[in-house]
Amino acid sequence: MNILFVMKHRGNAGNTHAVANYMRVAPRYGHTVAMYGDPQPHLPHLKFSTDVRAFDRVAYLFESELYRIKPLREVALLATIPKRHRLIFDMDGMYNPVIELDGYDSNHCSETERARWIEYYDSLADRVAKPTLAPPNNQRVRAMIFYGYDPILEVDPASAPPKQYDILHVGHNWWRWREVAGSLLPAFRQIRDQVGEIGFIGAWWDKPPEEGPAAGPEEAFRSDPEVFRQLRIRTEAAVVYTDVVRTMSAARINIFTQRPVLHHLKHLTLKWFEIFYADTVPLLMLDEDLAVAVYGEAARELVLPGRVAQKLLDALRRPDHYRGVVEDVRRHLAAHYSYDRRFEELVAAMRN
Amino acid sequence: MKLLLVTSVDPWKRSVSSAHKWVEAGRVLGHEVAVYGEQHPDLPALPFTTDLSDVDIALFVVQVTADFPDMPYLARLLDGIPRERRVVVDLWGRFNDTIRLEHDFNHLEKLDGHLGWEWEDALGAVSGAILQPTLAPLRPNVRSFLFHGYDPISVVRPYRSAREAAAAWRAAGPAEKPYGVAYVGGNWQRWEQVRRFLEGYRPVRREVGRICLTGWHWDKRPDWAVQKGLMGVDTDPSLLAELDVEVRDGVRFDEVVGVTGKARFAPVFHRPLFRHLGFVTNRTFETFCADSLPVLMLPRDFVAALYGEAAVKLVPGDDLAGHLTDAMDRPEPYWDAVLQTRSHLARYHSFAQRFQELRALTAERAPSGAVR
Repeated sequence: MNILFVMKHRGNAGNTHAVANYMRVAPRYGHTVAMYGDPQPHLPHLKFSTDVRAFDRVAYLFESELYRIKPLREVALLATIPKRHRLIFDMDGMYNPVIELDGYDSNHCSETERARWIEYYDSLADRVAKPTLAPPNNQRVRAMIFYGYDPILEVDPASAPPKQYDILHVGHNWWRWREVAGSLLPAFRQIRDQVGEIGFIGAWWDKPPEEGPAAGPEEAFRSDPEVFRQLRIRTEAAVVYTDVVRTMSAARINIFTQRPVLHHLKHLTLKWFEIFYADTVPLLMLDEDLAVAVYGEAARELVLPGRVAQKLLDALRRPDHYRGVVEDVRRHLAAHYSYDRRFEELVAAMRN
Repeated sequence: MKLLLVTSVDPWKRSVSSAHKWVEAGRVLGHEVAVYGEQHPDLPALPFTTDLSDVDIALFVVQVTADFPDMPYLARLLDGIPRERRVVVDLWGRFNDTIRLEHDFNHLEKLDGHLGWEWEDALGAVSGAILQPTLAPLRPNVRSFLFHGYDPISVVRPYRSAREAAAAWRAAGPAEKPYGVAYVGGNWQRWEQVRRFLEGYRPVRREVGRICLTGWHWDKRPDWAVQKGLMGVDTDPSLLAELDVEVRDGVRFDEVVGVTGKARFAPVFHRPLFRHLGFVTNRTFETFCADSLPVLMLPRDFVAALYGEAAVKLVPGDDLAGHLTDAMDRPEPYWDAVLQTRSHLARYHSFAQRFQELRALTAERAPSGAVR
């Protein structure tokens, strides 16, 4: 089976990293995976193709926009690979009713907008896959975690970079501010003098995107550089997907947050997994039950909500204990989330 | 036959007139013809549909990228009609190697964002039957199908004889024919030919009468062409002013024949790419419906093959001024050529003929009984 992924080429996005793993695993099973498009100099490890006749399946991966390829290329692709051989990955929960959480994050801004997405999906493919633990809410939908865990990518402490940060958050400021401002910053303020460097690495922590409103709602990118300055929090630009884990490894603790609407939908992202490759202690802004469902029982120890300041200090003071907890979680992930298993699921979904 | 035309239609441009003719002819012949998509408010006579059931042929009439429907209609169409029932008629020569002639081209990325291979992939993926509106396609895997045609019913004044036609033409006063020459069409890849026409007409302009160019961008080169460095929409306002050429904006498709008939002469120009490929356009045929003497600014062998031998009389060759003055002095032989050509067109290039040709072309590749 030759599978072509149609998705936005973002070297600093988790989905790109996951597809890179599918490309790596596919030949073991006699399959091929590539991303649609012309080769990208900044992504030399990825296989790209525009030769649609060389593929027999296509996977569209949509986040919060309906990514389109050029019109004539779209004609060639749709005319070559029929609907029954197309699968949509609905990464940001757009194939759902309108969900708005506390007047903040939402999957759609209106019913009209939602109808446009549903019509688009329904015309494009027979099946929609969601990277979620939640059971499907529609017979066209199947749950497929999409992301995997490969122990070989775990960073050996001996080769990890020096610990530049005590606390680090790696990820873009996309619907994160309410949680950061409401839970993390008060805790940082409480313990600021007891911890070293704190950093936020990713896009839009200093300012919203230069594209302006076209990039999304203003609220999604809200930040407060003045508060960051007061709390001596450093910000750095986003890193490409190949550097994420090494970047995380430059901190004793990495904090994991998730966009509220995805958390609500129990969607997993690559960050759920790659944070455990890093030589760090991941602390999780997740519901405990959800964390345990993915990571196993050991993860209870890593959950932050309700005890952020206490947990941060404890993890900094007892690194060996937490390293043991992380090892337990890694073993669980290795046993249950290999990319080989993910790829089998992908092929099975594509065969149906 | 249930025929679905897949194309973008605009009352002001491209092949909207031919689309109407296909519908009208289909109705007479007992075929159901509709354009794919939602009803266009400015084209009430053109039926639209999104119902793909029982479609015998989906004819993709391709000129520009917008001729392919947008999503979600595109996916529904391609998934709803099997490839064997899809046919592409490539009206602008996209399914060829890239061609550059004067300032003309069949692919230009800076204009529409697409390279030659993208056109080829798209058309080839849509259908195995690629047709082009020429008597002699360049590629062996492309078939000849002119698509456009001649509709005798649309002839404004169907004279019974050349004498009657010539007399009426001579007698027409300024109210009926305010111009000596009328050309209706946009300034797209035609300026060099129009300029040469103007130079040829210059010595006889007083006798022939004023020229009117009706269409977009004759008055000045548009900003978008300047920005993109496109010379195919060039013009020369000072030459137009010197020759007192009237320039008017474009008209709707259903006004073209009437506006063309406001002059004694109606030139037919084909853009360089189309001359090279031997392509026809709607105007190739429609000009013969107007009450005007066509001036065929086309190669003689092409004219003979398409319009019939009689039409060669309407080709001015190198002496445009002589041609025009001779027609002014002795219109009857020219009208005789027009009437003979109209008969030829009615016989060989009617839309009924086009239906037969399309049926024959699709029957060659479809299982028997596929097309009703």
